[in-house]
Amino acid sequence: MLKTDKVTIKFGGLTAVNEVSVHIKPNQITGLIGPNGAGKTTFFNCISGVYTPNSGKVMFQGKEIQGSKPYQINKLGITRTYQNINLFRKMTVQENVLVGMHSRLKSNYLTDMFHIPSQQREEKEAYAKAYEWLKFVGLEPYAKDQTGSLSYGKQRLLEIVRGLASDPKLILLDEPAAGMNSQEKLELDELLQRILKLGVTILMVEHDMKLVMNVCHEIYVLAEGKLLAHGTPEEVQNNPDVITAYLGGE
Amino acid sequence: MNPDMSKQEKRKKLLPVLVLLVLTLLLPVFLNEYPLMLCCTIFYYIIAVSGLDILFGYSGQISLGHAAFYAIGAYGSALLHNHLHLPIFVTMIIAACIATGVGALLAVPASKLVFHFLSLSTIAFGEIVYQLLVHSPGNITGDFKGINSTQMAFCGQPFSYRNYFFFALLMVIIFLLAKFFLVNSKTGRAFTAIRENSHAANGMGINVRRYKVMAFATSAFYMAFAGAMYMHLVGYVHPDTFQKKQSVLFLTMLLFGGTGTMFGPIIGVISVELLIESLRSLQEFQGFVYGILLLIVIVALPGGLYGGLRDIYAYCKRKLGKGDSGSEVSKNAENG
Repeated sequence: MLKTDKVTIKFGGLTAVNEVSVHIKPNQITGLIGPNGAGKTTFFNCISGVYTPNSGKVMFQGKEIQGSKPYQINKLGITRTYQNINLFRKMTVQENVLVGMHSRLKSNYLTDMFHIPSQQREEKEAYAKAYEWLKFVGLEPYAKDQTGSLSYGKQRLLEIVRGLASDPKLILLDEPAAGMNSQEKLELDELLQRILKLGVTILMVEHDMKLVMNVCHEIYVLAEGKLLAHGTPEEVQNNPDVITAYLGGE
Repeated sequence: MNPDMSKQEKRKKLLPVLVLLVLTLLLPVFLNEYPLMLCCTIFYYIIAVSGLDILFGYSGQISLGHAAFYAIGAYGSALLHNHLHLPIFVTMIIAACIATGVGALLAVPASKLVFHFLSLSTIAFGEIVYQLLVHSPGNITGDFKGINSTQMAFCGQPFSYRNYFFFALLMVIIFLLAKFFLVNSKTGRAFTAIRENSHAANGMGINVRRYKVMAFATSAFYMAFAGAMYMHLVGYVHPDTFQKKQSVLFLTMLLFGGTGTMFGPIIGVISVELLIESLRSLQEFQGFVYGILLLIVIVALPGGLYGGLRDIYAYCKRKLGKGDSGSEVSKNAENG
């Protein structure tokens, strides 16, 4: 589904991501782990179009997408969440989901301004669909509330569902469990399975090892910008290089 | 408007608007010439400031050079009418379209800028247009003397202020309705998303640059149309009207009334215009007055006058213990 070929990103003299090649298979959860500063988020930013790699290729469903803008990549079917929550705080919860649906709505500037019947119909359907999406993560009681008033864990859920609203084929989750309590983490586990059932492939960066080892089918380990190991959770757990990278020293 | 709102809710929101409209329509019965002209001024200012609100309040881009579009509308319409003898309403629309094009052209590079860089470049743009007005090629704008044009007329009969009042009111309704539809749609949501977090907006499939240009061009159309209305109300304009202080006046009205709402610009224009009118004798102190108003808004009323009124309304409603939660109330008011 998504392949990267020797992707390298440099910031001045620092090589943040160094020749990383991964292959994300469809309909499964792939984890991306590594110590802080390993380049995980930079790698995500590169897939989602925030950064253009200095060299290497990013292929999505057989198409090269490196160098495309984030909004173009969203249209192709890759969506994402952010490590530090990036919601539209002064919009309502439902409106956030509606923004997520942006690239799937057909109305344009003129039909919006003249409020023609087809635009009204589409808006009506979009509102109903957005409400359904909120139900998917149990946020429908807050539909009309300002997003800034939601708790941290709920904001994370809203970010996920805002991403899903664009009907993606692949969703990139950047530390979805950060700031969640143990109850919310259990619910997240179950939510990830339901996202998979929608036919959406998941690639996630996560520090919570229990969650990662539980849900991921395949794991890639990054350290200091390089790909250190790759395999099933068991393989990765028993890999001596990984243990060294995490615990340090001999 | 939120499409999944019940009919009853819609009616509840529409009622105050209708009452307001009927009261406005009754105004010409009680007012004589001078207050009527003041009303006309308020009307075209409402269009101008609402346009600025689409840019600043909704899409979060500041402009300190919008008097330039106001000028393009006024001079453009006058020149088209004087030289090509097209009907005034047509020249108004053509002039506004020209300003839209200019706005879009300016926005293409300006959309890369934010905050003070954007405000500086818009100041520069305003200054360029002003210089072109006073040192125009072939003296077509009349340079420092200003320019004359005909007043609005219907079948050869020039408009009285009373006629103009109804024309301007109709225009206000059309422009505000268009703004209302626009901001409560996919396009409007994209504008707001860019204001709230342009990074995330880009990630969610919004072509940030394109929507920024759209917001800029739309506000230029509103501004220029208001400028053309001004031109054909008074029949004469002077370049001094289009200096920086006019841009500051628009921004003051917007901030004082409240940004990102339908009623904010209306309240802002009415209150500031009436204040300036009542302080006519202290004209040298106009800048001082704007400063005080902006200070009041920044220190005490972050949501502007409208935001303040809304908070008071929500507070009273909560105190009286009827109706629903506070957040619900403020949200409803925002939509209206």
